[in-house]
Amino acid sequence: MLAPRQMSRLLIAGTKEQMGAVIAELYRHRLFHIEDFVGQEEYAGFKLGMPLAGATEASNDLITIRAATNAFGVQADSAPHGRPVSGAELRRQLQAELPELDAQADELVTRRTRLETRAKDLESRTAELEPFASIPIDLDLYRGYTSIAVLAGHIPADVAIAAPHEKAYAGGKKGGFIAVFTPIADREVVERQLLDAGFAAVRIPDETGPASEAIARYQAERASIEKEIEGINRQLGNLKEIHASFLLAADELLTADVERAEAPLRFAVTDLAFVAEGWAPSSEVPEITATLERVTNGKIHVEELEVDYDHDSVPVEYNNPSFSHPTELLMDVYSRPNYREVDPTLLVSIVFPLFFGIILGDVGYGLILLALSFLLRKYLAGEGGNLLLDNLRNAAISSTIFGLIYSEIFGFALPWKPLIFSRHLNIGGEAHGHGPDAVPMLIIAIWIGILHITLGRLISLVNHSRMDHGKHRTQAMIAQAGWLAFMWGILFVIWSMFPIPLMPNLGAIGGPIALGLNIAGILGVVLILIGIAGIGQENALELMELPTIVSHVLSYARLLAVGLSSVAIAMVVNYIALGMFINPALENLTPVGIVLIVVGIVVLLLGHTVNTALGILGGGLNSIRLHYVEFFTKFYKGGGKKYNPFGMKRLYTTEE
Amino acid sequence: MVDPVSATTALTPEMITASQAGLKAVGAGLAVGLAGIGTGLGEMGIGAAAMGATAENRDMFGLALLFTVIPETIVIFGLVVALLLLF
Repeated sequence: MLAPRQMSRLLIAGTKEQMGAVIAELYRHRLFHIEDFVGQEEYAGFKLGMPLAGATEASNDLITIRAATNAFGVQADSAPHGRPVSGAELRRQLQAELPELDAQADELVTRRTRLETRAKDLESRTAELEPFASIPIDLDLYRGYTSIAVLAGHIPADVAIAAPHEKAYAGGKKGGFIAVFTPIADREVVERQLLDAGFAAVRIPDETGPASEAIARYQAERASIEKEIEGINRQLGNLKEIHASFLLAADELLTADVERAEAPLRFAVTDLAFVAEGWAPSSEVPEITATLERVTNGKIHVEELEVDYDHDSVPVEYNNPSFSHPTELLMDVYSRPNYREVDPTLLVSIVFPLFFGIILGDVGYGLILLALSFLLRKYLAGEGGNLLLDNLRNAAISSTIFGLIYSEIFGFALPWKPLIFSRHLNIGGEAHGHGPDAVPMLIIAIWIGILHITLGRLISLVNHSRMDHGKHRTQAMIAQAGWLAFMWGILFVIWSMFPIPLMPNLGAIGGPIALGLNIAGILGVVLILIGIAGIGQENALELMELPTIVSHVLSYARLLAVGLSSVAIAMVVNYIALGMFINPALENLTPVGIVLIVVGIVVLLLGHTVNTALGILGGGLNSIRLHYVEFFTKFYKGGGKKYNPFGMKRLYTTEE
Repeated sequence: MVDPVSATTALTPEMITASQAGLKAVGAGLAVGLAGIGTGLGEMGIGAAAMGATAENRDMFGLALLFTVIPETIVIFGLVVALLLLF
């Protein structure tokens, strides 16, 4: 909690005979994060390992499988998730079926490609012939002359040619088509005149008979080809139905084979021995050591190395209660935590839904979002999608609870008074109550900001004390304390000068002592000065950031402001739909009134749909932004490397 | 309609309150509207650059989103001022 899972750096060394067994065992456990061998200095004399036997065959089979998968259009989530098959059985099946399946897929795809090429060819020929169809001359009459030149092409309008010639012209909507027959001697003159009139020549097709007949012939052929392609696609579809789960399982099995066979490429080896370095969760180290010793009959050396945090980048695996798992997605979007800093996932997983609820506190919207978070699971498959929907679910629950507190459902009031603060606006002139408690809520929002930012700075103190050394550590910690002093100093000064509801009134402590400030004010000024000194001693440029204290705290006002605007939209929609369309029409029901009621219902549905979408965006984006911009910038470094253990989550196959 | 002459001569307290309320509403509208324009101008450049960065490298999404919403604070301030004016 609040820290990633503890990792140990492991060194595994053994003879080459043991390498296969060790790799298989590591792969099965899926705990060892391999640190690639890149020729480090301390490994002088070692070289990169060679793939295990069978790597090439497995890769080739994998390529075949993937080609068939592509040909059939099989997708990972399209196949039914049946019972996982055993690896040994699948291997037998692969031996027996793969060559035939490959040949089948290959044959069908080749045939389809050939047919598609032919169809393209026919299409372009038809396009070439089409203009000639409008001229009643057989195509063989366009060529085979010794003394006559033939020019054919598109031209905007018919043109008179001042040279001996015969021509045929056919007009159309977008300009005409012209064929000119002229003695070869006059060709140039005719051509120039034609070009001046905007002539664009086309190739004369190599065909016989009337153009329209040729077109009809080609179109018939194309239709039959298309039917044939359809048949092939149907066949491929049938094969997909039959083989999808086999292909996916085989892909998984062979991928595992290839990954295992190629693992030595990441190890350091000599002629007789190998060394693998990597990371494993500390709690699992005894287990890993024991199994490796068992499979190699003790002929293996597993050693836990000392970790040098300044040079080693330790892979980071979250270590959170299951409640916080969805939030890890939001953390990864920003950056995975560094191994040694405080992992704020747990805090975010509590505060994010709270902020969301404060902003979008409405029973109606909350329940809609809750329903969405379950209904969308079908469409947003995959781990990331599910985590996102889990976040939405948590936020929706919080939104519903705050809706009960605020007494709000789709902008209407619930049958009780708001439990703490009212957000009911006075829209449509139906005055009830005294309007929203905007000012008290604003102050609560600011309080949340002050506390959230103070928490951020305190975490920063912890981080710096953990991660820095020597003089720099002291300086950084003083600077963080300085930021805190500066912020609280400003607060003390404000509190001593202005009485603010829901905030301490320090002006009442005593009369002014100096500069018109009382004792609390003086204390505030001292804190501000200490703060500036503390920040400045680490880095004077940081002093430019001082105003962000004010803007960051005030930024939390969005908790009230965005929420209130969402309430306002809901109430306006209700007022337009009910107050302006439905209620007046219901009082005096006429045929026109029924139309008005329908319009009112449409406005109601549309308005609330839009407001739900805005609610997700406004509530979600603003809450996460308060974390990313206002909270994380105080302490969070991130940039941790993802823990990616060597192994595979098997979906379609079982271990052999 | 009120006679223009009597309107200038006899300004009743109700009229003064009403015009004050009206001006407050105008001020609130201006606060949100102008702050919104400011935010829009700010996000214009950032948003375009953020899109480009995300298109090149999807890992940038989180950071890009963060940069894009930074000017959002301006309009929130406008909204807060408007709310304080109105209530």
